Amino acid sequence: MLALVVPLAFGLAQRASPSRSAPPGANASATAKVVAAANAFLATLSDAERTKATFDFTSSQRTGWSNLPTGIFQRNGLRFGDLTTQQREAALALVAAALSRSGYQKVTDIMNADEVLKNRGGGRTGGRQGGGGSGRGGIQFGLDEYYLALLGAPSATAPWMIQFGGHHLAINVTVVGPNNVMTPSLPATQPARYVLNGQTIRPLGNENDKGFALINALDAAQQKQAILDYKVSDLVLGPGADGKVIQPEGILASALNASQQTLLLDVVHEWVGILNDDAAAAKMAEIKANLPRTYFAWSGSTTNGGLAYYRIQGPTLVIEYAPQQGDLEHIHTIYRDPTNDYGARLVKP
Amino acid sequence: MPAGAHRLDEYLQATRLAIDVDRVSLEIDLTAGVSVARRVFGWIDTNRDGQISSTEGHAYAQQMLGAVVVSVDGRTAPLSLIDSRFPEARDMTAGAGTIRLRATANLPAAASGRHQLSYFNGHQSETSVYLVNALIPEDPRIQIAAQQRDAAQHRLTIDYDVATHSPWARTSWLLVGLAAVGLLAVSRRAPLNR
Repeated sequence: MLALVVPLAFGLAQRASPSRSAPPGANASATAKVVAAANAFLATLSDAERTKATFDFTSSQRTGWSNLPTGIFQRNGLRFGDLTTQQREAALALVAAALSRSGYQKVTDIMNADEVLKNRGGGRTGGRQGGGGSGRGGIQFGLDEYYLALLGAPSATAPWMIQFGGHHLAINVTVVGPNNVMTPSLPATQPARYVLNGQTIRPLGNENDKGFALINALDAAQQKQAILDYKVSDLVLGPGADGKVIQPEGILASALNASQQTLLLDVVHEWVGILNDDAAAAKMAEIKANLPRTYFAWSGSTTNGGLAYYRIQGPTLVIEYAPQQGDLEHIHTIYRDPTNDYGARLVKP
Repeated sequence: MPAGAHRLDEYLQATRLAIDVDRVSLEIDLTAGVSVARRVFGWIDTNRDGQISSTEGHAYAQQMLGAVVVSVDGRTAPLSLIDSRFPEARDMTAGAGTIRLRATANLPAAASGRHQLSYFNGHQSETSVYLVNALIPEDPRIQIAAQQRDAAQHRLTIDYDVATHSPWARTSWLLVGLAAVGLLAVSRRAPLNR
């Protein structure tokens, strides 16, 4: 399990009626892993810490997530900066167990970006108001400012949820028997590019590059359908927009050829593939089945390095990629399933 | 209450429209970036006591809605404020708090056929960026046919179709009709047991 944990840097490391569930047992091993990791994490906590970390599955904490930093938005759960090394490792092992190897890497890259932001004293579009990035009482960035909460008791049968997040990151994984669901989640980053141990890191570089590759793979007539003639300056279905389904726009995937559809699915996989491989494979199969009813919309420059927003929307999928206020170093994205956010399709009322 | 994005020098005005046969509902979320938040707060906190009272909030909500024009088939549909929620001053001035307004415009029940809704938001355009989107109608009789916006999303025009009966209702009536014909045929073939 711990072999999956990529060490953190900086010394610390549309309406549809799809099937209700994955094939029985399809993801049972992934669920068993994540249940074991959750119980291992809980075992490192004192009673008081366990009380602070856990919530009822149906509590309002479920929708109480945000992309905003500490000081603007107060998260619940256990703050990484308050954990011992052992507890922190167990917490990260739990996150790693729920995600794929590449997904966990993406998450750590996003967290490390926030540490970079902290060391730079905040960002141009960071929402920072005066004070230092780590000052008491002010807006705070960095690795200590991530929170982990569990909703419901870890179980291979009953529904429960892992909520992990901080500035520019909200990962919500709902586990219902063999099914693992990662919607809604919000991977974002600022900066979008930084150097760590001599290596250039772009946490959402694939999302950017694959998006531009797709729009440039379309012919002129297809681009005319895909490209919106207006500016989109932010996420349309960001935090707080649970349950909203907007009228889709852009080009239907059924109007794309096979290689273009492959590119589209490859873009989608950047979000879906954050979750563990078994669950991601099941979700990709569902998205592929709905591909003829999936739209791709683009707004902005078609030259990689320019400013552009895009949205992919299908019956069980919404993805948005939105640079913030003209800043290519500040990217927000959202990943939703309007039929299954928080496992709604799987959890009996 | 989940919180949204953090902005710097823009006033984000995001509107979602829900079209029904006899009304249009608006969800308007207003988020002031940190550089303009004090100015926006000043528009609302007219007595300068550092708080937004219900009177001040209501007055600002009405002022904001006064800059929004909704019309259907060329006729202006007056907006009524349903709800308004204002964040704490601290959150607003940090560029995070979102003002949430909910409004509705009642319409004469739409006849079947093509209709056109026009939306315009001219509130504080010098400091604002806009998002406006139509939600997929809850009523299956209503289908959005086309949307057009200006580049800045001040304006949105939606063409939509209203069907006389929902496809489900049509199917139901068809099934009832077929069942009735079937029963009639069976009753005519059945021998009379008297």
